[in-house]
Amino acid sequence: MTTATAPSDRSGISRLWNTTGITRLRREGAVAPITAFLAFFLVYVIINPGLLTRFQLQTAGNLVVPLALAALGQLIIVLVGGIDISIGAIMSLANVVFATAMVSLPVPLAILAGIAAGLACGLFNGYLVAYLRLPAIAVTLASAFIIGSISREVMDRPGGGITPEFYLATSGELLPYLPISIFWLAIIATGMWFVLQRTALGRHIYGVGSNIDSVAAAGLNAKRAQLAAFALSSVVVSLGAIMLAGSTITGDPRSGDSYLLSSIAAVALAGASFTGGRGSIIGTILAACTLGLVGSLLFFAGINSYWQYVISALIVISVVGIPVIWKRLYLALRKAHA
Amino acid sequence: MESQSTGGAATKVAAPPAPPSAQLVAANLTKHYGAVTAVDDVSFYCLPGEVHALVGENGAGKSTVAKMLAGAVSPTTGTITAGGVELNTGRIRDARLAGVSCAFQELALVQDWTVAENLALPDGSPLRGFSQRGATRAAEALLAELDLPHIDPRAQVRTLTLADRQLVEIARAIGAKPKLLILDEASSALAPPGVAWLFSRIRELTAVGTSVIYVSHRLKELAEIADRGTVLRDGRVAGEFSRGKWTENQLISMMAGREASRAFPPAPPLSVSERPAVLDVDNLIADGINGISLSIAPGEILGIGGLQGHGQAELLRALYGAIPATADQWSIDGHSVKHLTPERAVRLGAGYVPEDRKTEGLALEMGVGENLLAPWFRTAQLGGTPRLAREKPWMAGVLGSLSVRTRGPLEKSGALSGGNQQKLVFGRWLDRDRRLILLHDPTRGIDVRAKQELYTAIMGLSAAGVGVLWFSTEVEELVHVCHRVVVLYEGRVADELSGARLTAEAVVGAAVGSASQSKEQL
Amino acid sequence: MTTTSSSPETHNGAFDPPTAGTAPSSDRRPGRFARILSRMPRSAWPLLVFALLFLIGGLIRPNLLSLDSLIGTATFAMILAIASFGQTAAVIQGGIDLSVPNTIAFSALSYLTLIGPLGPVGGFIGALAAGTVIGIINGTIVAKLGLTPIVTTIAMNGLLFGVVLLTFKNSELTVIPQFLTDITATKIDVFGLSVAAVLPLGLVLMVILQLVLSYTGWGRSLFLVGSAPETAKLAGQPVDRIRIAGYALSSFLAAFSGIIIVGFYAQASATMGAEYLLGSVAAVLVGGASIAGGRGSMIGTLGGALVLGQVATLVAVANLGSNIQQLIYGVIVLIVIALYARRGRD
Repeated sequence: MTTATAPSDRSGISRLWNTTGITRLRREGAVAPITAFLAFFLVYVIINPGLLTRFQLQTAGNLVVPLALAALGQLIIVLVGGIDISIGAIMSLANVVFATAMVSLPVPLAILAGIAAGLACGLFNGYLVAYLRLPAIAVTLASAFIIGSISREVMDRPGGGITPEFYLATSGELLPYLPISIFWLAIIATGMWFVLQRTALGRHIYGVGSNIDSVAAAGLNAKRAQLAAFALSSVVVSLGAIMLAGSTITGDPRSGDSYLLSSIAAVALAGASFTGGRGSIIGTILAACTLGLVGSLLFFAGINSYWQYVISALIVISVVGIPVIWKRLYLALRKAHA
Repeated sequence: MESQSTGGAATKVAAPPAPPSAQLVAANLTKHYGAVTAVDDVSFYCLPGEVHALVGENGAGKSTVAKMLAGAVSPTTGTITAGGVELNTGRIRDARLAGVSCAFQELALVQDWTVAENLALPDGSPLRGFSQRGATRAAEALLAELDLPHIDPRAQVRTLTLADRQLVEIARAIGAKPKLLILDEASSALAPPGVAWLFSRIRELTAVGTSVIYVSHRLKELAEIADRGTVLRDGRVAGEFSRGKWTENQLISMMAGREASRAFPPAPPLSVSERPAVLDVDNLIADGINGISLSIAPGEILGIGGLQGHGQAELLRALYGAIPATADQWSIDGHSVKHLTPERAVRLGAGYVPEDRKTEGLALEMGVGENLLAPWFRTAQLGGTPRLAREKPWMAGVLGSLSVRTRGPLEKSGALSGGNQQKLVFGRWLDRDRRLILLHDPTRGIDVRAKQELYTAIMGLSAAGVGVLWFSTEVEELVHVCHRVVVLYEGRVADELSGARLTAEAVVGAAVGSASQSKEQL
Repeated sequence: MTTTSSSPETHNGAFDPPTAGTAPSSDRRPGRFARILSRMPRSAWPLLVFALLFLIGGLIRPNLLSLDSLIGTATFAMILAIASFGQTAAVIQGGIDLSVPNTIAFSALSYLTLIGPLGPVGGFIGALAAGTVIGIINGTIVAKLGLTPIVTTIAMNGLLFGVVLLTFKNSELTVIPQFLTDITATKIDVFGLSVAAVLPLGLVLMVILQLVLSYTGWGRSLFLVGSAPETAKLAGQPVDRIRIAGYALSSFLAAFSGIIIVGFYAQASATMGAEYLLGSVAAVLVGGASIAGGRGSMIGTLGGALVLGQVATLVAVANLGSNIQQLIYGVIVLIVIALYARRGRD
């Protein structure tokens, strides 16, 4: 018999801890990145109180938002139990297509062109993985290079027609002390949350990552859910690429390269399960913010910023490793005391 | 009751003409998996409000037929007509929309979803909105309607017990308000109160004209619940029966195609040995095991019985070191054991035949010879063809003594039949100085001749002084072939039976927790 | 009562999950060509493709049908192959090593740095030892911490990138010792032909590694672990140790190839290994290995490298640029996995 969980406990805090939303966050492992971010933010502000000025908040926002969007894109693929090695390449392609389109097209059409380019990549990957049933590692590895090559054909050096007005629209300030980039991030993240938590398709995506056979046995179209996941992911990544283009005022065919490791590190720090079915949006965003700011923290602390690569890698390993080592130590200690 | 043949292979049955009012008509269903025929020309029909049983041994084809009806598998040839609509698409969704739903034997629940999500999501387009609260409320209503108040709709499925998961799976199938409900071994994880609950639900459904297909091999349940039934054997229809007009022995004959009491080789007599006990464990504790103490003498065959899911699989894995376990006292062949891993267990003289030969027992892509040698590769020693050449005498001996039908050590093991594959998993431990062999239901799903060959091999082990721990889901095996049988219930020893007390009734009785009763009968 | 030995193997035991039901695709009749192909060992197929591409090249530009062109392509291919032998081991055991690029860079730069204090041979050993340590760390994380190989090796790749940028000042590392050039770029006489030393070096390495894979207990257990890890564990094999050794070998060979690359091309930089990420995986897959593990060979990898090398030659001749070459490599990988690696089920 199951023990029925009766969340109507006595104390208020216990009740808060057990409400549906918070329980879900706990289940998806979001506690770690939330506390990590709060701790990190505190340390950052101590080392560099200047963060809380309008200019630095804006810069920080512009730095962090493309990474957060790339991480969200990676999260969706991780949710369906895969990993997308081509995320950096998709970002580069959307970035250069958008920048090139801005030369001759009005802004809304250029944005659509950027998103369409990214979406095409997502559908390509998704079709191969879901319908042709090819292994995702090999597909996304190959497409990473194919898409990267296409980006470099579209634009072989940084350039493009991005205007200062566009910069302000994406990377300026909405209100004093509120960078507009954060605002856009919030909108996109809310949209993503809505799709993942409030539509059946979103639940299917979580289900496919957890157990694709069960989803199929429930009479659901698991392949379509997988394809939808890749498509959704690529759209979010394209939006990140456009934000990146806006904040740097250029399109750059190599712009997406560093986002592969960072997006994986952010997803790992967010407590998502790489076997699928588990992962929270808020956790991913905060993890991306933490990682994105590591580089600038190093700068303000006077440390060589190449260390950020080392730190990102160590974060990935420790987030997974520490719980395992902790459990071993705990069991060993318990045995010694028994 | 009509039966086709009680001996020999099942002959083809001419499809009885289905009455026009039939809810379900299955005609000439056949399923080939490559060269293998799982189901051969099976036909039957089911009337509205009827409970129709599909009976057969393991491997008779009943699960495949159920999956075809449910739309999980599409038949190679043959038709399925439900409520006048033909259903052959092989898509579960189409079947559900046509009013056919199935509670699968392999529970089709998504572990990371909550109960409410598993109940709400199956039907409906993906673009629909989804509200946690709405789904929870609907789930509460459904669970209340089905008299399952103890299941929390907000709980994640992975946190439920196996029995509760089966209840949710059944609820999910009934919740689709089907016209035809298929229950594939739905009572396998349920204790008697759960079975009673299930039968109440079935009666509620049949009262309003829903048909139920009940796939099972538990004959006592069929006596209570089945109106009519079809017996399958080797993928073909072996006979049909209807309520009140059959006996267990008749059904068993149809299922087995031979006389009810099968010939089992009796266990060889135990000789007193000076060697220490092959296995001696006191208060073994692991995940799913709540304190089991066992002892096996050299040459003794100790059977493990009980309903599936009461700790048998965990017991074997713990004794082999495949899952972490502790014990007050534990020794294998006289050597004391603290932390066991499979590697250590093999070095101490243990061998293990796991549950799933395809994923745990064999490397299907590798050859017969290399599969036999799987435990015996050593880093610095030779491997590949020179090793195969050197081990030829041993391999020939093993393959010969088990009568493995194969082209040779280089044949891919995936190409062998199930029985021969099982012999490979078993054979790798022969003539290798083993003291203890752990068997997880080694004869499940293999043909009768292979079973006999395995029995002979196990007798051989016993005669050679090897201790055998044998978990079997076939009570007859335990009763006829083992020296002693320990029945597990909820991770503990419910009863230990030997000699005159070792009967099928006693084993089953202990398995369902009425150990006290069988003790009183003495 | 008897049952025949070919009694139906039923797939409907308790372990077959319900499928979403597609008709079985295993009923196609193999054509005659396919039957001839299936008689040959898998590792020979890429050699056939290479021969085909070589001839096609000759049709497009007749001067490509020369021994010189063949040797040139083969040399390029051998270097790629040496960089891919480690990846072969990683893929056979069911994993993958995406830290190859920066292991190459790290090892090459370490070598050049260590020549000063340790001499050319000492530096060689030092760099190889560093590579082995990298592999042991990768393997330990995968085996003991349970992190997937992709994530682990991507993280290691990033870590090494940071380490390379922090530790080495490229401008100071330009001296290639003569000993290294002698075993890589210097032309030697083989059967009357003048080939770069790296060619016979690579062949010898390939033979040794293939012998290990085919004829040692460890090699065969590597296949077992890749093809059926649960079976390997329950057969009492020390799966963790086998895995760690596999990754250690992979990084050792990547480090070795890094030294060879810097010796042959006489230049080193932080990004010198980038093209070997896709290149090594492509060579291994084209060589007939299965990305899921349990199948692969060093000979096949060399064949795959030859195919990719010939593609590179054709691309260079058509003047399409290295960008297009990477794109074509990507497409080739997709074609290969589409042919061999469907995850479908009956």
